[in-house]
Amino acid sequence: MFVQLLFALSALLTVGCAIAVAVTKNIMHSCIFLLGSLLGIAGLYATLGADFVAVTQIMVYVGGVVILMLFAVMLTGGKDFVSRAQNLLGLAPAMGNKWTYAIGLLVGLVVLLTNVKLIMNISKAYPAKIFGNDFPSTVNQIGHLLIKEHVLAFELSSVLLLGALVGAAIIARPRKQG
Amino acid sequence: MTPAQFDGLMPVVIFMGLAVLLFVGGHFLSVLLAPKKPSHLKSTPYECGEEPVGSAWSAFNIRFYVVGLIFIIFDVESVLMFPVASIFREMNDMGHGGYALIILLSFISVLIEGIAYCWKKGDLDWVKSYQVSAKNNK
Amino acid sequence: MNQTLVSYLSQYEFYDVLLAVFGKNEGLLAFTIYLLAALAIVGLCATIGGLGTYAERKISADLQQRMGPNRVGPYGLLQFLADGVKMMTKEDIMPFTADKFLFYLAPMLALIGVFATLAVLPWSSGFMMADLNVGVFYLIAISSLVGVSVFLGGYASNSKWSMLGGMRGASQIISYEIPVTISILAITLLSGGMSFGTILSHQQGTPVNWFIFHNPFAFVAFFVYAIGALAETNRAPFDLPEAESELVSGYHTEYTGMRFGFFALAEYIEVFVVCGVGAALFLGGGNLPFNLDIDIIPLQFAQVVIFMTKALLLYYVVIWVRWTLPRLRVDQLMSICWKYLTPIAIVNLMGCAIWLVVFNGKSMADLIFGSH
Repeated sequence: MFVQLLFALSALLTVGCAIAVAVTKNIMHSCIFLLGSLLGIAGLYATLGADFVAVTQIMVYVGGVVILMLFAVMLTGGKDFVSRAQNLLGLAPAMGNKWTYAIGLLVGLVVLLTNVKLIMNISKAYPAKIFGNDFPSTVNQIGHLLIKEHVLAFELSSVLLLGALVGAAIIARPRKQG
Repeated sequence: MTPAQFDGLMPVVIFMGLAVLLFVGGHFLSVLLAPKKPSHLKSTPYECGEEPVGSAWSAFNIRFYVVGLIFIIFDVESVLMFPVASIFREMNDMGHGGYALIILLSFISVLIEGIAYCWKKGDLDWVKSYQVSAKNNK
Repeated sequence: MNQTLVSYLSQYEFYDVLLAVFGKNEGLLAFTIYLLAALAIVGLCATIGGLGTYAERKISADLQQRMGPNRVGPYGLLQFLADGVKMMTKEDIMPFTADKFLFYLAPMLALIGVFATLAVLPWSSGFMMADLNVGVFYLIAISSLVGVSVFLGGYASNSKWSMLGGMRGASQIISYEIPVTISILAITLLSGGMSFGTILSHQQGTPVNWFIFHNPFAFVAFFVYAIGALAETNRAPFDLPEAESELVSGYHTEYTGMRFGFFALAEYIEVFVVCGVGAALFLGGGNLPFNLDIDIIPLQFAQVVIFMTKALLLYYVVIWVRWTLPRLRVDQLMSICWKYLTPIAIVNLMGCAIWLVVFNGKSMADLIFGSH
């Protein structure tokens, strides 16, 4: 019962905020809606039992990337962050008339229904199962995988991050005068 | 996890809900109790008693952005180290302590290289980063 | 799954009676227990936060040889209630240039971020709301919402002081998160798990078993954690985001009435939370100094008292530091974080790992007294 509720809340948060990100005209607001959407995704991970991934999602995206985005917006200085040009709903009318929109909607509906039908068959053939494993928690499992099977990837990821750090430092450094 | 085990996550959601409830309830109380006499002068942003000049939303220094970038890199590194750290003791008890230590130390040493590079190039300085890097680039 | 409040209570007989009352609906019963406990904890923490403002003024007065608040109630103890009522009855002013949506949202994010951390705070071995497997990690992650709220509070006000305070605050909070995280990583390494239950179970018994005395590196890690936590909660000497002599009041300059109250409440509760986490990670949390094989509910309350005592002692130190040390300059702030604390924290982490392998997981006390 609680899992379903958590799923519904997270899904609502994710989808609602994602729509708001696209629709809102103010870039700061859309950053904050993005934060809500990412939190919702963390909730979705939690409903899958992937607690470590959920918290990583919060740690890296909410704590890091969103703040970086806010700083990046502040770099532009933006006298007004509100876009005057367009939003999703008022998209340039020259792109089509009501017939093209109607046909597009119809095609979209057909594709959607076909996909639902296909996925229904697959999920009927392979119902969701809970696999037991030997580890007390997902963290231990991830740790064992990182240190045994995927140890090369683990070490290389640190080199990748070193490259990213150096690259970030170089790009952000002011250019030499003259 | 079985559905019953997810109940352990309940407090997290309950506390978040309580925070929202407290916020809304506090607002409700303040709407009931607080006086409402708005005036233009009252709602000007505070600027030491002067008329505010321009907007506060101006371009900010790139230093904040650089700090944010360095932070994210270290953040991801620590996220990767958390699972390894939590099984380190177990590995040690099983007799693979030396192996795990080498893995962890080589990971951390790359991290140290990164911080040493940024330190040497002056990216960690708050004020002097411009002078130092200009000197280095000559 | 680990021990939680509900699984702890379920070993007693009255749980079965309650279950019968709730018509065998375990989920509903769990929800009710959690909700009641959460309300109790929020009430307790709000009181601690309120008394924190009182203690702050009283201790600062003590350090400066003044009287401090002494009018409302005995010794001025009810001052925080008077402040709360005052905040509710103050007019809610919003600058006309402000971003209204974000202006409303910022204090709420701060409250959510701080309240969510309360869910994993280990009050005692039984009265733990949620002992998540990723406990400490979750706590670090969710408290970063406070950083976003500080930035938003500064941004949405559209006042120059607020904006400067918000930018400084956000960059300070994220910077100091690194040494704090790496210090906590060292403790994760020593305890072999991120859940508070695991961490506390390794620190049972006399104080020599606390992680702070486990090895010299962990001892240093505690101070790195303490300094980083001071900075993360924007406490002096790291209170640059709200430096009153240069930035008026920083990111909450334009906040009045109830919304300012929420910011202040969130800040004081957060200080208590970081003190509690420090007590649990390094100082043995609520563990009793002796080992009893019986487990009865009064002992759990004794654990809560021990935990609170440790956390409140740290709280006292936080206030003491605030009224003793002068504020740092912003460039000193950044160089302390990136050039001193972070390298020290990394060396501590490596030191803990090497110690664990070389001495096969034994602590200093084990080596000296030769136990185990």
